[in-house]
Amino acid sequence: MKNYLFAFALLFLFSCEKDNPVIENEEELITTLTYKLTASDGTIVEGKFQDLDGDGGNAPTISNIVLKPNTMYSGSITLLNESVSPAEDITTEVEEEGSDHQFFFEATLANITVSYDDMDADNKAVGLKTKVVTEAASNGKLSITLKHKPNKSAMGVADGNIANAGGETDINVVFDVIIQ
Amino acid sequence: MSLFNKLLFLFFLSGNLIAQNCPYSISGTITDELTGSPLAFAGIYIEETQQGILADDAGNYKIQGICQKEVHVRVTHASCEPELFFIDLQENRAKNFLLHHHAELLNEVQVHGSSNEKSTQVNSSLGKIEIARNGNQNLADILSELTGVSTLKNGSGISKPIIHGLFGNRISILNNGIAQSGQQWGNDHAPEIDAFSADHLSVIKGVSALAYAGSTLGGVVMVEGSPVEDEPHLHGSINYLYNSNGRGNTLNAKVEKAGKWFRWRMNGTIKMQGDSQTPTYFLTNTGRKEANFSFRADKKLNNKWSSTLNYATFNTEIGILKGSQIGNLTDLEAAFKREIPFFTETEFNYNINVPKQRVSHHLLKLELNGVLSPTETLRFVYGGQLNNRREFDARRGDRSEKPVLSLNQWSHFFEGKYINDLSKNKTLITGVQQTITDNTNVPETGISPLIPDYLAYQTSLFGILNVKNNRWFHEFGFRAENKQLNVVQITRTIPRAIKRINQNFTFFSVSAGSQLTLPNHLILNGNVGLAMRPPEVNELYSFGLHQGVSSIEEGNANLQPEKSVKALITANYHKSDFVLFEITPYAQLIDNFIYLQPQREFLLTIRGAFPYFRFEQADALLLGVDALVSIEPTDKIKLINKLTFVHGKNLTDDVPLINMPPLNFSSAFQVGFKNIGVARNNTIELEVSHTARQSNLLVSQDFVLPPDAYTLLNLRFDTTIEIKKYYVSLGLKATNLLNTIYRDYLNRLRYFADDTGRNFTLSSRFTF
Repeated sequence: MKNYLFAFALLFLFSCEKDNPVIENEEELITTLTYKLTASDGTIVEGKFQDLDGDGGNAPTISNIVLKPNTMYSGSITLLNESVSPAEDITTEVEEEGSDHQFFFEATLANITVSYDDMDADNKAVGLKTKVVTEAASNGKLSITLKHKPNKSAMGVADGNIANAGGETDINVVFDVIIQ
Repeated sequence: MSLFNKLLFLFFLSGNLIAQNCPYSISGTITDELTGSPLAFAGIYIEETQQGILADDAGNYKIQGICQKEVHVRVTHASCEPELFFIDLQENRAKNFLLHHHAELLNEVQVHGSSNEKSTQVNSSLGKIEIARNGNQNLADILSELTGVSTLKNGSGISKPIIHGLFGNRISILNNGIAQSGQQWGNDHAPEIDAFSADHLSVIKGVSALAYAGSTLGGVVMVEGSPVEDEPHLHGSINYLYNSNGRGNTLNAKVEKAGKWFRWRMNGTIKMQGDSQTPTYFLTNTGRKEANFSFRADKKLNNKWSSTLNYATFNTEIGILKGSQIGNLTDLEAAFKREIPFFTETEFNYNINVPKQRVSHHLLKLELNGVLSPTETLRFVYGGQLNNRREFDARRGDRSEKPVLSLNQWSHFFEGKYINDLSKNKTLITGVQQTITDNTNVPETGISPLIPDYLAYQTSLFGILNVKNNRWFHEFGFRAENKQLNVVQITRTIPRAIKRINQNFTFFSVSAGSQLTLPNHLILNGNVGLAMRPPEVNELYSFGLHQGVSSIEEGNANLQPEKSVKALITANYHKSDFVLFEITPYAQLIDNFIYLQPQREFLLTIRGAFPYFRFEQADALLLGVDALVSIEPTDKIKLINKLTFVHGKNLTDDVPLINMPPLNFSSAFQVGFKNIGVARNNTIELEVSHTARQSNLLVSQDFVLPPDAYTLLNLRFDTTIEIKKYYVSLGLKATNLLNTIYRDYLNRLRYFADDTGRNFTLSSRFTF
């Protein structure tokens, strides 16, 4: 109705101001991924990818992950939307829709193994929780990818091989990892 | 139908009762509309009195002793579509009929309209019959029958026309004279027009007629309905088409009548199509649904004034290949490498899931025509449009039912036009136009909008002078415009804020054209024009991930208007029935050509790296040629050859222009057959169409190399069956007969999947 009235008014008034647009609540936006690694002795290492203003604008900040050799870590991923205050936790949303989501971990460095440590309703990996085992000193990159609606039954997907997963990419961040 | 029969029956009765004797007669000639040559032995048949006669070898006929005042006359000729005319014999005793004898040829090359509307514009058009035969396709696909016209596609469901290498913001599509107003900027946004609502579709290739609103830089597509005939009985047609690839059904009905108060026509179309198929697999989620309706009313108000009302609505839901909706650069590269796209199902399906588009469009037009004096005509037009576009994608949570893009665009167009015959050979057309566009993002997406809300006011003044001088016809045009843009942008910074921007552009266009008709069947047409186009809102202010192209696009607020000079010449040679030859070479230089420049750096986001494009400007040159040669050694055999070629170059950076149609040529061999029982006008046509590889492109300009050249074989058979006095036209068409596996450079789906395989289309048309 508002549109009709507006259109009608335009017939007579050729220079209106456009109304202020509604600023969308970008509830799906993920600004921050934190990969928290807790060693068996309790020390905590964090990798953080943060892009507060979303796509474009200021470039994201990415921290490095420095690990100890020959150590076992339990990894957990937290997803936040920090563009709103208070920040929104997106992690639970992914957890609730576990069967529609899977994280993939691909390392270019030697001497690191990442394995799944959680399961969705169908007993298939999600990857919010992981086990990370390091060996001798090394360095390289670790890429973390969150797929939405992957084909979890495709070959190799259960073992964390992304090649046949398909689906849409919700997250794809790359950390520099140093084992020293 | 029964109502129509009853009416006819009553008509018979009344006619027989009143006409005791039979005082009426009719006579005249039957000629070919294109060549003007007489059609020997054409048939004339008066339906009411069942009187029929064949014209003589000069096309003359005479029927006497008609017992009825108002009659329907059916005119037939070999290889012509029969035409039905209503005549009041009290007022008309002499009647000359024009038939579309060269149905195909006429459709190809036609400078149509009365002498008043004569133009030096190079113009190709398609008629009702061609539209009906291909009515299951999109407007742009139907138009691509014309030389010089290509289509930019996003799968089989979405296509937009390219004229001489330009598309989108640079061409305008006029629906009954009103510039189509929607989200024309998107490569995956097709024009929202039902081809069935038109009686003819034409393309103007030169600097567009300056009397029309919309961009004047590229060509113009005109979708036109003819006025409703002054015929007091209900007439119409029913079209049904079935296509095997996609298992598509198209049903259209059109009825018209000159009622007591006004003359009216109604047109309705519904389409439903499922997943298309390549030669080896289904293209999952490429179905579409469409429901369209249009209404037209013509009324003579008094001796001076007449009015026309048009309403058209177009509604569609289109699925987009599931495997083409990908995330970042890594996904894109993975998708390119796949033999068969991700998510390809083994079963056919009519379901349309995400990603999909839902678009509806409404157009209302009111026109008032006043004949002030025998030399002066005044015209007022209002055109209102509402375009609603919603795009859906797979989203987290239960958000897939929420669109990722939702836009409402209102537009209002006002025009006053004055046509004045200054002398017998000079006509001056002047006018003023105002277009208001109001574009709003509907707040339901939960995503920062790709293009901002805006209001645009465009005021235009134009003048066109036509001068006729024996064999010459000249046309001079001028158009001055001012565009005010009122943009309300949401900033990219956090917290989001609102920023208001006002911009103002003043620009003009001039054109001059001449047509020379030489005695030896040669018509030369030359046209030169300077045109300007201010940047559109998407080019200035878009920002974000464009779903359809999986790249991040950024507008550039500093863009200047494009300036173009285009020259084209057409030589048209048409000697009797034997040969028709038309060639159109052209050159267009565009200063400040706006294009998407891929940036050297990828843009890093939390979803990974994305290709990043920014709107930039450069000087561009387009050179091309369209050619058509048709040979008809006997009236039963015809060979039609067409060629479309364009070469585009970015002069500033000395690189090719992207998205230029590759060279295409086609040859069609048509044979007409004798009547077989009730089947008449039987023709069979074999067409070979070859599309070359787009070699004018650097490897660095695209994600993957342009696809290889391909050749398609198409076959069609058409016939008209006469049962009593009704006619049913039937056609069977096979496209990609050999089930060739190919990819087309101008189809964005080529990145992910093969193009569609063999398709049989059955078309039927019943006219009453």
